[in-house]
Order: sequence, then C-alpha cells, then structure tokens
Amino acid sequence: MSDLAGRLRPAATSALVPLGAVVVAILVGAGVMAAAGVDPLRGYDAMVRGALSVSNIDFAVASFTAILAMSLAFALPARMGEYNLGGDGQLALGGIAAAVIALHLPAPAALLLPVCLLAGALGGAALASVAAPLSTRAAVPVIISTLLLSAPAVALTSYLVRFPLAESGSSVPQTPRLPDAAHLPSFPGTSYTNAGLVVVLLVLLLAVHVDARTPVGYEIRVAGANRGFAAYGGLSVPRLTLGTLAAGGAAAGLAGAIIVMSQPFRFIDDALTAPGYTFAGIAAALLAGGRPALLPVTAALFTILTVGSAGMERDVDVPRQLGQVLQAVVILVLALRVLASRWTARRAADAAGRKG
Amino acid sequence: MTDRLPDVADPAAGAPPAAELRGITKRFGPVVAVDGVDLVLERGTVHAVVGENGAGKSTLMSVLYGLHRPDAGTVLRAGREVRLRSPLDAIAAGLGMVHQHFRLFGSLSVAENVVYRAEPGRRGIFDRRAAEQRVAELSDRIGLDVDPTARVDTLPLGVRQRVEILKALHREAEVLILDEPTAVLTPGEVDSLIAVVRTLAAQGTTVALVTHKVQEVLAATDRVTVLRDGAVTARLTTARTTAGEIVEAMIGRGLQPAVNPRGTVSSDPVLEVRDLRMAAAPGAARVRDVSITVRAGQVIGVAGVSGNGQREVVEAVLGLRPVQSGSVRLHGRDLAGLGVRERRALGIAYVPEDRPGMGSAATLSVADNLALGHHRSPPLAGRGRLSPRAVRSQATELVRRLGVRTAGVSAPLGSLSGGNAQKVVLARELHHEAPLLVVEQPTQGVDVGAGEEIHRLLLDHRARGGAVLLVSYEISELRALADRVLVMLDGAVTADLDAADATEEVLGAAMASARSAPRPEEGA
Repeated sequence: MSDLAGRLRPAATSALVPLGAVVVAILVGAGVMAAAGVDPLRGYDAMVRGALSVSNIDFAVASFTAILAMSLAFALPARMGEYNLGGDGQLALGGIAAAVIALHLPAPAALLLPVCLLAGALGGAALASVAAPLSTRAAVPVIISTLLLSAPAVALTSYLVRFPLAESGSSVPQTPRLPDAAHLPSFPGTSYTNAGLVVVLLVLLLAVHVDARTPVGYEIRVAGANRGFAAYGGLSVPRLTLGTLAAGGAAAGLAGAIIVMSQPFRFIDDALTAPGYTFAGIAAALLAGGRPALLPVTAALFTILTVGSAGMERDVDVPRQLGQVLQAVVILVLALRVLASRWTARRAADAAGRKG
Repeated sequence: MTDRLPDVADPAAGAPPAAELRGITKRFGPVVAVDGVDLVLERGTVHAVVGENGAGKSTLMSVLYGLHRPDAGTVLRAGREVRLRSPLDAIAAGLGMVHQHFRLFGSLSVAENVVYRAEPGRRGIFDRRAAEQRVAELSDRIGLDVDPTARVDTLPLGVRQRVEILKALHREAEVLILDEPTAVLTPGEVDSLIAVVRTLAAQGTTVALVTHKVQEVLAATDRVTVLRDGAVTARLTTARTTAGEIVEAMIGRGLQPAVNPRGTVSSDPVLEVRDLRMAAAPGAARVRDVSITVRAGQVIGVAGVSGNGQREVVEAVLGLRPVQSGSVRLHGRDLAGLGVRERRALGIAYVPEDRPGMGSAATLSVADNLALGHHRSPPLAGRGRLSPRAVRSQATELVRRLGVRTAGVSAPLGSLSGGNAQKVVLARELHHEAPLLVVEQPTQGVDVGAGEEIHRLLLDHRARGGAVLLVSYEISELRALADRVLVMLDGAVTADLDAADATEEVLGAAMASARSAPRPEEGA
C-alpha cells in the first residue's frame, strides 16, 4: 500500500513543479501582454532591464536584500509547517526598533551598527514569538495569529512616527535622519546596496547550516513532517515552534533595520510595507519549497518581477501590476500542486484504509 | 443487560430481509479488504458485525451505505437489488449510518442538525418550531432525552451520538448502521445506547452493530456475523452462542504454536508497574489497578481485545498520558514527572502500534527516520553538529543488518512496504540497546515473511538480555514470543498465565469473560 503511495507521488515533483509554475507564469504574462498589443519579448526585455541594467541594479540588489530576508522570515517557520504571514508587522517593528536605538544611543559606528541590527531582529522576533504560545497553548493557528498581529504592529509604528518620533517641521510622517554612525556602509559606487546584503547572506548561510547539519534543524524537519512522530521521539514541539517563529521574526526585523539604516536613513511611514517585500518573500519561499539553500535563486526571481515591472511600465507601457499578477500565478500553480498531492495522498490512504 | 431476548428475532415467514449483501468483494489496490461476504439483516433484528481491527467490518458497512462501490457482489434492500452510487442513494433506500466520527455541525442546534437536508418548512422558509417538535417526537419514541434547542458542541459525545441516530430516523431510515458506536462512550452511556438499540429493534428498525467488543454483542444483539481477514468465519445466533465461541471466530486458531525457547531470566525487574489507575477519557479506556513486572531476558505479553486499556498502560509507561495513581519504575527508579525524552534517555525503546501517525514520518527519508532519538549523541552528532554523512552511513548499516528492502536510505519511508517500514522502526528502537523495549502489534500490516523476521529480531533481543513488554491482539504472536501472558479486560488484568498454559482456549475465555477470572496477585 505504501508502494502505491510512492508510485502515485509524481516523480521528481520537487524540481519540476516549481519550474513549471514559473514557466506557466511567464506564459500567462506573455498572453496578457499579447492581448494588450505589446510584443511579449519586448515586455520581458524591458522587465529584465528594469531590474538588471546598470542604472537599476543598485536599487534591485537592495530590494533583493529585503526580499531574501523576508523569504527567510516565512521559510524558517514553514520548515516545521507553521506559516508566518505577519512579515509586515515584524518588518515595521524591526525598523522602528533600529531607528529608536540609532536616534537615542550616541555611539560610534562599530558599536551602533550591530546594536541597531540586533534591536531590529529582536523587535521582529518579539512580535512573531507571540504567535507560538497562542498556537501551542490556545490552539490559535499561527497563520492566523501572525496575520492578525501584523496590522496593529504596523499601525503602532505609524503612530510612533507621526507623534513621539516625528521629525519636527516635516509634513511627511517620518523620523529624523539617523546619525551617520547608523548608516550601513555602501559598496563602492553604490548608494542603495550596502553591508545589509552581507548580513542577510550570512544569516542565510547560518539557516542553511542549521537546517542541514544540526540536531535542531533535524528536529524542525521531523516536526514539520509529522507532529506525532516528533512527540513520540520526545521532541518539544512548543519549544521548536517558538524557536522557528522567533528566528523568522528576527529575519523580518533585520530586514526592517537594514531598510531604515539605508538610503534615505529614516523610518518613513509605509515605506517598509508598501513595496510588498513580505508577499514577494513568501512567494520566493514557497517556490523554493522550504529548502533554504534555494532561497537566493527564487528571491532573485521575485526581485526581478517586483523591481523590473516598474521599468516595464516605463518602457513599454504595461502596467507594473503585471509583476504582481505573475507572482500570483506562481503561487496559484504551487497551491494546485499541494491540492494535487493531497488528492493522491487521499487515494493512497483509501487504498491503505482497510480498518476493521 | 442480561435480559437477552429469546429468539424473537425470527422473521415473519416469507418476508424478505431488510437488507442483504451477496458475495461482496472489495479491493484496495493489492489488498482484498472484503472477500465474497454474504450478510443477511433480518427485519427488526439487531445484527452484530464483529471482527478484529482490519477484519473488514467497516469496509463492508461502507459498501452497504454506498461509501464504497464493491468490486463484486450485490446489495439488496427489502428483497430488491439496489445500486448505491453514494450515501445519498443509500439514504433514499432507507439506510442510515452513524459513523465513528460524528458528522455534525457543532455550532448548530440539535434540531437543526437532525433535520439537515430534510428540513420542514414552507416555500424555502425553515420552520424551526416544526423541527424542534419533530426531534422531541422522535426522541420520545425511542426513549431518548435530548434537548432539541441545545447547541451540539456543548453536548457530551454520548448525546451527540443520539443526535446522529435521530438524524437517521428523521430521514426514515429502516436499516441503521452503527459503526463502533461505543468506542467514544462511557460505560453508563453504553448501557443507555444498548437500551435505545433494543427499543429501535422492537419498533421494527433493523440495526447493524459494528463492534469488536464481545460483551456488547451479547448484551445487545440477536444475530452475529464474525469476520476475519475479510471473510465470514461464523454466523451465530446470540442466544445460543458464548463469548468464547465469538472470540475464537474473531481471532481464529492461528498457525502452529511457534517454538519459544526460554532464555535465562535474571531476577532484576527492569520495569515495574504498580497499581496503575487511569480514568476513561474520550477515545481512551480506563485502567484499573494494573501491575506488571518485566525482568531482563523476559518477554511479557499483554493480550486482550483492543480497547481494553492496553494502549493506555503503554502510554503511561512512556509518559505520553497522565496517570491517576500508581507508579512506573525503571530499574527501581520512579519515573513520575518525567517526560518522553527523559524516559527514553533512561532506557525505554518503543515501537508504537500507530506506525504512520507516530512511529515514522512517511515523507522523511529512511535515514532520517532511523536517526530520531540518536540525533543528539555520537556518532551522529557532536559539538552541536549533526553529520548527514553519519546519519546515512548508520542508516545503511541498519538497513543491511535487518535486511530492509528499500531503494536506498535517501528514499522516503512512504515508498517502503508495510513490513519494511516496520523493520525500519524496529531497527531504530533496537539500536538504542535500551534495557526495556515496549512493542505494540509488531506485525500488524506486515506480510508473513517479514513478520517472522520481526519475531526473530525480538527473540534475539530477549536472548541478549533485553526486557520486552509486548502488546498484541494476536494469540499466535503472543504464544510465539512471550514468557508470560497477561490478559486485559476493561482496564484490568484478568489473567496472568505462564506461556505454556496460555492456550488459545484459555486466552480466548479470559479475553471474553468479564468477571470469571480472579484478579491475579501480579506477575512475579
């Protein structure tokens, strides 16, 4: 009977389905452009240029940094089957935490930079952690509590930059410019791309290492595969839930801190959440199928979709929303995959289900 | 319930039976769940369909209710052949079924649930009062006390079951199938369910009662059909049969008793369970003053029909379920207050009955499945690192040593056959070299060849001085492996036998009889 389950499980879905999802999305996009009277090749060319041409790559890499961090925010808890949809709130809270420290702690850059990044990570982690006891003690699903906790957190930061932390004399709801010591050092010749990229890549390496080569990473995968098996083996599911959610929230908070500590070096209301880093990060994590090592590839893809669609709008007059449509198509195809595998699993379970 | 009705069940001469299954065969892939079964449900009788887990009872009833289409055979209702493509056809044909897991809307009232899909009312407007009256009327008729306005999710399980029964009656079901109805009930609720079932039969409703509990068969039914391995092994009239006869037909006269050479049993107890008491909970049986001692080099078998407290005792030993009173000691150390991880670290290995839900993870690789519990200690791990290479090489070694047939240690466990998956679980637990091994149903869902290998592995473990607590529903397995056999019935140990005395007749009688066997003064 389990042979049957093995046979029904489509061979090599692990690689084929995500690739197929991307191909389907590109074809759908081509169809939309063709229907609108735009040559799809020109459209996609404009999109890639919009992200990767010499004048745009600086900003695209900065977006990639944020999207990669947000993909970690989703992927880390997803490894044990918990879905963190509260990225926006964790991002904003991390950003505001970093801004508060930067504005109030007179310290040299060597001290201030790591402290601000840490504060951002802690801010995001604190918010995400709330969902863990809600899930393990009160049976509130993480997917719901993270989403619901996100909006008030964003609203709180919005209030803070309008009143207690507002820059006096400015009509824009934003903090004053952070002191120079809190500016992440840029690479030579860039203004947006900075040390934040290195920090996020280091975090990614750490995540890949923990996932594949530590007992904790193993336990997370076990809990994700079968909670009953994890409990039987004596693993503490509540502790693992708390740990992965805190780690995911920390990644999101770190992204918030990095954004605030980059051009234009302020926390501006809405500036963290409006670009849609959270959703792009979720899409990238889903496309990577939970494997942290694949996140840079999928995050790069969604960076091109997000950043490049603005260039496409400018050059060939296709609305930038097409980028979001393509993201959505990828997610839809992946969701259909989940449905399909559930269906085959049920077939297999029926086949095995000859209980008395 | 001793007032068994003497043969009132004889049908009116000539009237066709209320429902009949002829030559039903149902396969799931390569597995034949039901094999050419005939079943006749006479009008106005309570008919027990009994058998062990996996005997095909539920599958057979699912065919009768249109949930499964049979591969061969026909279903007759009141003498006429009916084609049941779905439960809707079955309902239209006057069949009703109460499933093990209730299908009710928790946030709706009793009345709303009962009339669902057959609501009284006019021109699309629901007549709540008529619905509530109808429920009151129906519950009056069969002597049930149910408040039609109560919200279903506020009701205890026993009352929810009554709602399911009322639902079937509201839809004019003349044949009512109850699938393991007492599994979720407290003893008091069981008695009142049996009274309801008898009332229904007296009013002409035909009841098919699916169960594996012999006491209920004797108390509630007129006829008995016993299934084993998908085929009928006995058709009995309740008034003229005995518990022993039913149990014998359920468990069968197994293969020849295997040779079970005695090892040397040391005098040190490894596991001592003393006066264990646990309350009944939804889905869990009670446990009454159970004491068990397992010594090094000894296999203690626990026999009994499933659901008599064996699982709960095992969970108490492992620290998975809280106990009311009593103690569990390992090498003399009281385990009270310790969790699963600590108990396993102290030396308890465990092969659970629920292999897919608990003993393994189908989507993880064979190697990952073999690593659980070993993943924080050398050689797999050291200084905070877990070596994927060590995990794979240990898995390769274990797979080779136990002869697990797999495409490789990186293949998902779900791709293995039942027997090989069970060997993976056993390999992982034996590899702990834990002084105590707790094993439930080690050969369930395992083919004969792999089953023999698993038995050999367990006997080897005993020969090396391991202590084994073995829970099994199969008498032949207990006879093949155990040094002593305890029998559990309704949460208590009702017999403690030397393996040599544990013949099928003796065990069968002990598994069935409630109060005849004296409570033993505990297995020394």
